[in-house]
Amino acid sequence: MRRDEVYAQLAQVYDPELDRPLTELGFIGGVSIEGSVVTVRFRLPTFWCAANFAFMMAADIRERVSELPWVERVDVQLQDHFFTEEINSGINRGLTFVETFPSLATDDLHELRETFRTKAFEARQERLLRSLLAMGWGNEAILALRIGDLPGLPLDNDGAALAHRYGSILKERGLARDVTAPAFVHPDGRPIDTLEFRAYLARVQRTRLSLEFNASFCRGLLETRYGEGESHMPGCSDKSAAVRRPIRRVLE
Amino acid sequence: MFKTSRGEEIFIIDGHMHLWDASPDNQANKYGAGFISCFYDYHRNLSPADYVWEQPLFQKYGADRMVKDVFVQGYVDMGIFQPTYLKDFYKNGFNTTEQNSILKGRYPQRFILNGAWDPRDGEAGLEYLESLVHRFGIRGVKLYTAEWKGNSRGWKLTDPWAMRYLEKCGQLGVKNIHVHKGPTIWPLNKDAFDVADVDEAATAFTDLNFIIEHCGLPRLEDFCWIATQERNVYGGLAVVMPFIHSRPRYFAEVLANLLWWVSADKLLFASDYAIWHPRWIVEKFMAFELPDDIQKEFGVSLTLDVKKKILGENAARIYGIDIDVQKKELAKDAVAAMR
Repeated sequence: MRRDEVYAQLAQVYDPELDRPLTELGFIGGVSIEGSVVTVRFRLPTFWCAANFAFMMAADIRERVSELPWVERVDVQLQDHFFTEEINSGINRGLTFVETFPSLATDDLHELRETFRTKAFEARQERLLRSLLAMGWGNEAILALRIGDLPGLPLDNDGAALAHRYGSILKERGLARDVTAPAFVHPDGRPIDTLEFRAYLARVQRTRLSLEFNASFCRGLLETRYGEGESHMPGCSDKSAAVRRPIRRVLE
Repeated sequence: MFKTSRGEEIFIIDGHMHLWDASPDNQANKYGAGFISCFYDYHRNLSPADYVWEQPLFQKYGADRMVKDVFVQGYVDMGIFQPTYLKDFYKNGFNTTEQNSILKGRYPQRFILNGAWDPRDGEAGLEYLESLVHRFGIRGVKLYTAEWKGNSRGWKLTDPWAMRYLEKCGQLGVKNIHVHKGPTIWPLNKDAFDVADVDEAATAFTDLNFIIEHCGLPRLEDFCWIATQERNVYGGLAVVMPFIHSRPRYFAEVLANLLWWVSADKLLFASDYAIWHPRWIVEKFMAFELPDDIQKEFGVSLTLDVKKKILGENAARIYGIDIDVQKKELAKDAVAAMR
């Protein structure tokens, strides 16, 4: 099914701030396919959600869906947002961020993206560290773990999912090439020293907590805004064609 | 005033409240409509079902309703009016110092009236700030860095003009600077919720208190870090508190972090009325205990003394209110008769 293929691509698009796929967050308001043209309706928890993140997600939607060999055009339709027109027009004409917002942006989004990938790294790592600590692992044993040890850690299903998520962001950052390298490192790849471990853990815990708190808030707001399948925002009239997927329960 | 089961009286200052008019008549454009819709979703999403209002009431509830909700039913003894002008979105503004001063005039002992300034107003704004001090005796201001003005889409505390305004605040005795970091749009490629400018301003103006509303959410981690470095940075708990109902475990984790990093002496209770009703927040907070594992991990506890500080003593200290004297004044006023 072509629709499933589109959703599989969309599942690879992440909210940069919440580090979760758009499909899981309920941000995809619907997909319609006409021949080789795919229209993706995309919606956010509030009218005021940060425009730069909205742009990143819209650009990523376009890029991922365009990877399907049968797709010739992708039309991204961000809905009910204060920059709806600017973002849709920029993305669908293939403009960069600076080209879309010449008077508001001083640069493209690489730096912002990296800031939030670093936070995502820390949060994924902290969750795995916390679950190892809860199982009784000591600091030194944890820091002695190597990249190659990660897949075989004696963890339950939830723990294994955490290890997998951490492993994939290590890979994304090019930190997983050497299986004998330490498994737990700073976001830039520097090893974590035993002496600084507790302080490091406290810091990344704040990152994880903030991210989790925001994710919880955003999911709740999205449910409030669109949960009944009815938007009270002006300008959201295109409901007939929308395939609304049920919003999944919050994962905690 | 909240009375514990042992009969102890807890004095409550609500650190952040509004009397807004966001009715369609006052909305200037789609941004005004979008702004209040966003608030309404916050309200619906985090309030217990019994406290959810219909949208028209939420858009405009009026002074009498506010007094009843907050002071008669909500346990609150005093409230801090935090004006939010938003004149580009609402014809007469969302809620201004002048509008708030009317209710302050009716119940002078109940309200702390704060002002507001915007560095983009230049020299004229400095004069306006001075006039707020002379007319209303303000001791604090609420700053909203995400406010739109003409072609501008926000500002930072480190902007040269903002620095001049902060200096002026110091000269005028306006000691309490409440900062609300909204989604700032300029420059659009930077993090819209970045709180780093607070750090610099707090270092430059050690005689001022910087109260960061909703504890820098959604950048709680950066806020905690700044608050540890700067002695004059406080956390306003608006938006954080309502999680006590829907996500008590998150609330406990966040509060434990705040107690550890920011300290019990620097956190201020706030309902953000009318987004949330103080009654249920106060009740739940008074009944709340930190789970054992969180207490152990952070080495902090939420004792009655800590609750008293957060609910009123900290705000009283930075606004120069003597709680015992104030209690006697309040016992004589019109609200006391309504209770």
